Amino acid sequence: MSSPLFRARALHKRFGAVAALAGIDLEVARGETLSIVGPNGAGKSTLLRIVAGLARPSSGGLELGVEREWRAAIGYLGHQTWLYPELTARENLIFTGRLYGMPDPAARADALLEEERLTAAAHRRAGGFSRGMAQRLSIARARVHDPDLLLLDEPYTGLDRRAADRLTERLSDLKAAGHTLMLVTHDIVAAGLLSDAMILLVAGRVRARWRGRELDAGTLEARYLELVEENAA
Amino acid sequence: MSVAWTILRKDLLGEWRSRDRVLSMLIFSLLMAVAFFFALPDARAEDWVELLPGLLWTAYVFSALLGLNRSLALELENDALSGLALAPGHRGFVFLGKTLANFVLISFVEAVTAAVFALLFGVDLLGAAPALALVVALGTIGIASIGTLLGAMAVRSRFREVLLPILLLPALFPLLAGAVDATRAAVLALPLPFEAIQLLIVIDGIYLVVGFLGFDYILLDE
Repeated sequence: MSSPLFRARALHKRFGAVAALAGIDLEVARGETLSIVGPNGAGKSTLLRIVAGLARPSSGGLELGVEREWRAAIGYLGHQTWLYPELTARENLIFTGRLYGMPDPAARADALLEEERLTAAAHRRAGGFSRGMAQRLSIARARVHDPDLLLLDEPYTGLDRRAADRLTERLSDLKAAGHTLMLVTHDIVAAGLLSDAMILLVAGRVRARWRGRELDAGTLEARYLELVEENAA
Repeated sequence: MSVAWTILRKDLLGEWRSRDRVLSMLIFSLLMAVAFFFALPDARAEDWVELLPGLLWTAYVFSALLGLNRSLALELENDALSGLALAPGHRGFVFLGKTLANFVLISFVEAVTAAVFALLFGVDLLGAAPALALVVALGTIGIASIGTLLGAMAVRSRFREVLLPILLLPALFPLLAGAVDATRAAVLALPLPFEAIQLLIVIDGIYLVVGFLGFDYILLDE
């Protein structure tokens, strides 16, 4: 593995008496896709929100190998779109570009709308978009400032099969273009197709790490279910 | 500072298109004016001059509460608040942007409300307009700043509609004391009381500084 872009060491997060994360160690290399899978309540979204800077860890260290400010280096796509329904698609992207101090947010917005095949809907209000269109606009929003690390929190939530397939294609394109991705999902098959590495999180602890051929879709799901049941017992 | 202007422009554009906040605040203020009119049937013109400052600020505070509650709730739709929290730089500029937008919208509603009160109660406020505008602006800075801060604290709670008034009203008591005092002087064409103006400026300063610094923590998850 090349030098890590992101590293977490002994990460802990407690909510009162509950340990949401109990000593997480992980690394993500530049250009790599890491998936985080696990059952509900495993701490996956908490981990991602800490990496984003939206929550503070109770203890442990985080390192991001970039020169710019942490939050400026992070892009975040969740199952919520973070879009303003009264603004048009283009205005949403320009707004985000301005928040990040982009020199020409309008040009960047137009380029991203074209990449996401949303140019025809650029001047329509985001509130009238279908879930699939909103998700594509949300991907553009997360990429406005050209982040070093793109965090994806359950991006398949609420998407129908066709929209989910399109999202997988789009994420594959981003991966092929050299983007570094961290993906939290329940869709173990989609995650296996996209990922260079995968960790299984159960009750705030890493229970398994898979990489390369271990991510073969034929056996991955069975091993995942086996491990989740074993750890639940 | 560009983050603050960006948020101000976004909020005003969104409000221009939906008009839901300003309309609800205006309707509420007008209903309060009518309610006061019928609640005090025996009041004479000179009584209204005395009563007006208190009634006006009562209407201002309660209509502002409606707008403040909605201001942060709009950011929760699609969890856009997390998008603001993730913007680089000090999150205090997010606070300034939201406070500026709230200040503009509340001020607009206050101006219309003052005109309605003047018409309904037969009180001439035109001569007092400059002094009144200064006092109302100072009071509104305080309401918008502490309201934005407490609104952000309350917004993720299930009881946010109840929580914001419970948190905000006690914080506004000292401000209201100064604002009503100074408004009475403005309406009666007397010199503005120095102590009241000083109190308003000090409270505004405290609320702005606390809000600017506090937003960096408030926008984060638990």
